[in-house]
Amino acid sequence: MKKLVLFMLSVFFISGVALASELEYYKVYKPKEGMTADEIMQIKYHNKYSLFGHDYRLSKCTIFYVEKNGFTQKKEAIRERIVLGGKNGVSYKDVIVLTEPTQAKGLAILTWTYEDPARDQDTWLWIPSLKKIRKISASESDDSFMGSDFTVEEVSTRKFGDETYKLIGEKEFPGYKFEHTGEVKYKGTPCFVIEATPTKSPWYYSKRIVWIDKATGGNIFDEYYDANGKLFKTLFREWNIYKPGTKDYPKQDALECKDLRSGHRTVILNQEEAYDVGLSERNFTEKMLERSKW
Amino acid sequence: MRLKVLLGLIISFVIIGVAGLARAEVIGNFVDKINPFEKLELAGYLKNETAFGIAKENDGWQKFKNVFDLKGNYKLNDSVEFYTDINYWYDSVLEIDDRYDSISKKDKSVLRRPEDKYILKEFYVDVLTDAVDLRAGKQYVVWGTTDGVRILDLVNPLDLREWTLKEFSDLRIPLWMLKAESSITKNGGLQLLVIPDYEPNYYPPAGAPFALRSTVIGAESAASPFVSVRTIDNKPERTLEDSKIGLRWRDVVETGMFSGLEYTLNYLHTYDSAATYYVSTAPGFPVPIKLTRNAEQIEVWGGSFAKSITKGLVGDFGKGWTLRGEFAYIANGAMNYGTDRNIVSTVDVDQYNYALGFDKTFLTNWQFSTQFIQMIAKSKEDFDDNKYTLLFGPTRGPLDEIENMITLKVSTDFIHERLKPECLILYGDDNDWRLAPKISFEVNDNLIVAAGLNFFFGKETQMNGQFDDSDQVFLETKYSW
Repeated sequence: MKKLVLFMLSVFFISGVALASELEYYKVYKPKEGMTADEIMQIKYHNKYSLFGHDYRLSKCTIFYVEKNGFTQKKEAIRERIVLGGKNGVSYKDVIVLTEPTQAKGLAILTWTYEDPARDQDTWLWIPSLKKIRKISASESDDSFMGSDFTVEEVSTRKFGDETYKLIGEKEFPGYKFEHTGEVKYKGTPCFVIEATPTKSPWYYSKRIVWIDKATGGNIFDEYYDANGKLFKTLFREWNIYKPGTKDYPKQDALECKDLRSGHRTVILNQEEAYDVGLSERNFTEKMLERSKW
Repeated sequence: MRLKVLLGLIISFVIIGVAGLARAEVIGNFVDKINPFEKLELAGYLKNETAFGIAKENDGWQKFKNVFDLKGNYKLNDSVEFYTDINYWYDSVLEIDDRYDSISKKDKSVLRRPEDKYILKEFYVDVLTDAVDLRAGKQYVVWGTTDGVRILDLVNPLDLREWTLKEFSDLRIPLWMLKAESSITKNGGLQLLVIPDYEPNYYPPAGAPFALRSTVIGAESAASPFVSVRTIDNKPERTLEDSKIGLRWRDVVETGMFSGLEYTLNYLHTYDSAATYYVSTAPGFPVPIKLTRNAEQIEVWGGSFAKSITKGLVGDFGKGWTLRGEFAYIANGAMNYGTDRNIVSTVDVDQYNYALGFDKTFLTNWQFSTQFIQMIAKSKEDFDDNKYTLLFGPTRGPLDEIENMITLKVSTDFIHERLKPECLILYGDDNDWRLAPKISFEVNDNLIVAAGLNFFFGKETQMNGQFDDSDQVFLETKYSW
């Protein structure tokens, strides 16, 4: 159950830990020519955790687990987030509610993410069948999220400073075939290419190559290499600009993570998203969790 | 009759099997199609629960239960919602196994299917506002942070027909009540419960698979030709004057060294759902015995907490642990005292119960959850403690003034978390054990199968030991849509 929670936390924007960044909350940043690898990666994390908005509402998110033979399972959820900008040390709070499948329907998760990069999230879980809120502890960083191809740190705990970064160059992205629809995405898109090496060693990957879209500052593609230098996993993200007014909000509309060893992949589709809708902090309490039924 | 039962079994397996093989959306889409109300959301499940006793000289069917459940939520607007859960089941085990032939027809009818009043499992209206959430109707309220053991969780009574082998969600008996949950601080608020309804715990009759030892002893006594037992149930009326009242303050600390600490302070004015026995005799033959089963009016004071260690105490030491606990002081209760099997009389008792829990994930995906529970019962009246002890209600065996228990649950997962093994171990002092390994497999989004074992060890006077000859293997198949 705990892993389900952690997974759900990740699914939408791979939400997670506040970053040790000097970037200001509620501002949108884009990478520019001449920036260092560290500066570009700070922007990437700023976007990844959507710290550019005061709040966020995702009215529908669908997750597919696809096995090599095509067998597929599906989950759906809704989510709200409020970015507190460091008030009382809290970076942001999240509430996620599962709506499908029925066996997990109504499960709700409240998370507080702190500014302090050394601090784990606080997480509360509402289990509708037990009519009970459980405080749960953090999972291991290299654990898989509820059977997905994402690890815990990829979705919620990795932060700026967990790796060292080297700018390899600026290249046009060769394109990615999004298996869910068969479309080829981002072919010819100008990108910064950065090599990220984990500070932990040994770790489940020895390095990853990160492709950052110059237009959005989002990492559109990660290549993971094992200790022998062999590519074993890829992670694709589709970023788009949401522009309800004058502000450009970079948002992740689709993710696809593929384990090249097993052939299993996880697809996430974020639909009906909105930023700065005026959410109250009182929406992020245990009282609100208990409203969830089923 | 046996042929009908066999047919029933086959049909139930076929229904669940076919449903399980159906694509995930088929039944859900069908339900959506026939649902005429746009604001009405429906979900439900079919479930088969089968258990077979494996203890020597007591092997045989313990359960063959088919469950139908349908939930509906009608959202009138953003502030008002109506919710209901209809749950019906039928346990064919009484027809399958002739070991249960001695159970009376009346008792069988309660064991075989739910009483009419319990078919409506939940039925309430929600009125949701920023300041107060009101929930009026038949519902459950759960207090506390402990798993599987009741310390503060005393609002709803329990259905103990399968002892506590099932999830607590399936054990609780719903009550009609009003629940008001207010927001006072940013993260905290006061909960008020007004409960005019009363139900006692349900205990299976003698002869049923998990009949309590105390029930069996009572039945044996009543059957004696030397006594004539008259039983009087003394329980509260379902009136406003006899209403139970609950109050809970809950908050989460947001700043300082206790940031992230959740705590509650609780008070419950209620009636004990487990009756206390008062026995009186008079001269005559057969000896007339008057047995009064009294629902004691008790006061519960307590609190709970939960805190995750999100930052290492020294370096990363301690990080990742979640600590939780709860405490309850139960005043004005009563217990029997006497010797094993024999009630001498009844005394007023205060109880001090607490639990501490520790949870942590190790080795990537192995979750460990352990609890220490201590229950202290202090008699407020004198009795000859050289000859007598307090008696443990479920077994009518001697009860120590201090009872200790430790639980450990270890769980993990494989195959993209579709395969989930777990093992629960309960240990009570006096060498009382329950060992419960279980494995579940998610066939697809709608179908889950689970299998497991329940082993009991210990003296017949102890909580688990009384079921030493009820070890079982079980299989569950659940199709939800």
